[in-house]
Amino acid sequence: MEILYIKVKVSVINTHGVIMPKHIVSGLRYLAAVELRKKGYTQREIAERLVMDRSTVSHYLNGRNISWNSIEIADVIRNLCPRDFSILTYALVKDKEKTRNIVKICSIRKYECNVKNTCIACGICVDVCFMSAIVLEDLKAQIDPNWCCGCILCGEQCPTNSIEIKEVEDNGDNRTY
Amino acid sequence: METTELIEGKDISVERTGEEERKLEFKDALCASCGLCEKICPVSAIEVTPAGAMVRTEQDVSKIDIDENKCVLCGMCSCICPFEALDLKIGGESIKDMEEYPSLLKSAKISEDTCIYCKACETACPQDAITIARQLPERAKLVSGEIEIDKETCVDCGICEEMCPADAITLEHKFPSSDDPTVSSDIIVDKDKCVYCLVCKKACPVDAIKAVCRICSYGDYDINPEDSEIVGSSYIDDELCVNCGWCQEICPVDAAEVTKPFEGTLTLNQDLCQGCETCVMACPCNVLSFPQSTEPGKKPEKLHKDEKYCIYCGACQKACPVGAIDVERTKINSTPVRSKSWQKAFDSVKTK
Repeated sequence: MEILYIKVKVSVINTHGVIMPKHIVSGLRYLAAVELRKKGYTQREIAERLVMDRSTVSHYLNGRNISWNSIEIADVIRNLCPRDFSILTYALVKDKEKTRNIVKICSIRKYECNVKNTCIACGICVDVCFMSAIVLEDLKAQIDPNWCCGCILCGEQCPTNSIEIKEVEDNGDNRTY
Repeated sequence: METTELIEGKDISVERTGEEERKLEFKDALCASCGLCEKICPVSAIEVTPAGAMVRTEQDVSKIDIDENKCVLCGMCSCICPFEALDLKIGGESIKDMEEYPSLLKSAKISEDTCIYCKACETACPQDAITIARQLPERAKLVSGEIEIDKETCVDCGICEEMCPADAITLEHKFPSSDDPTVSSDIIVDKDKCVYCLVCKKACPVDAIKAVCRICSYGDYDINPEDSEIVGSSYIDDELCVNCGWCQEICPVDAAEVTKPFEGTLTLNQDLCQGCETCVMACPCNVLSFPQSTEPGKKPEKLHKDEKYCIYCGACQKACPVGAIDVERTKINSTPVRSKSWQKAFDSVKTK
């Protein structure tokens, strides 16, 4: 699986000239910062959420110190299928908590998560979930739809096919950050 | 997330690292090859080595095989195993200690208040799981009497020394010399060992021994009842114990109490049985035996069972090469099963 991620990454980079992974991370952060700004967060709050300094946030939001190429690539990544988006982000950021934050903020889609009674609580889904959206409760997995990014890694690994993730139409933005 | 398997001797451990650390441990020495783990595994990751071969030959392989590529570390095998051979730990804690996981209700206890330390259970336990330590009273405090040997009359024949059942009399034998023409230098009675049985007195050819047993004349009058008390302690190794109930059944004072994990029936088909004895060797609870013929020409039943000791684990059924044994589990005694899939899995090991 790892090899596949790298191939995807390389192809993205090649079409856009010489860009380092850290530049794409900046692009992703930029996108996340803009999303948060749209929601009315202050620069200080954005800096806290994305673990950046406030001055960088300010630069980002004013379109400084960041190449448009990076933003463009980041935007391509964001618009990939949710699975590739989260896997690529993790490959670039290399930190689960930061990946979780960026993916959560930039996700456009909403999901309905259902775990069937056939779940045996093996915990594989808990282990694979980038978003830490799954916990086990009374020997059954519980998925928090607010954090689900729709990557379906959990469903693919589930030994009993107990996980159903459906994309649902988002009637206005009622996500809780 | 990565699943790895480690084999140490015949013990196996399967580990998965990730958000939560899961480790399944298998202890071969405790396994009875009953096959319950194989039966309950939702992903068919466990294969039990043919039990017949295991019990009849000294195989150098584990009794079960866990396929780490299939095992999802859910812990069902660990919860159904009646022998503590499998244990799943999440974050270092055994799921047997976690409330959300069902655990078999099985126990064996010996009441210290009632136990008389007769050791019958220790002898009967098929798994050598019981240790009874006891301290016996001092023999000298349980007898009362007097003994005296008149050394003037004594001819040093040594008959009393030879006959004393308690080895309480010692004659200091010696070779006579011209200046001391005797065959013994002294005769000593060890009063801690003497039980005043008076055998020496009766056997002495020259009536040199004067002895009296006070208990014979006055009863237990001068014996302190506290001195005859036997103190001790009992210990059951929970890991080795299979909750078969032998201790409970054999205890003469009802000091042992056993709760069994399963209820059910054990049916033997005497017509199919070939008398190979594999089941007898496989049974961890000493339920089965081959009766010996009591008189010439009389044929005893081929295979004898006593379900009092059976825990319905199914090891015998799994071991029987001709299908002559049928074990049915009708009830699993466990703490509440909270999940539907787990309930279904538990139900699946009931009735055959």
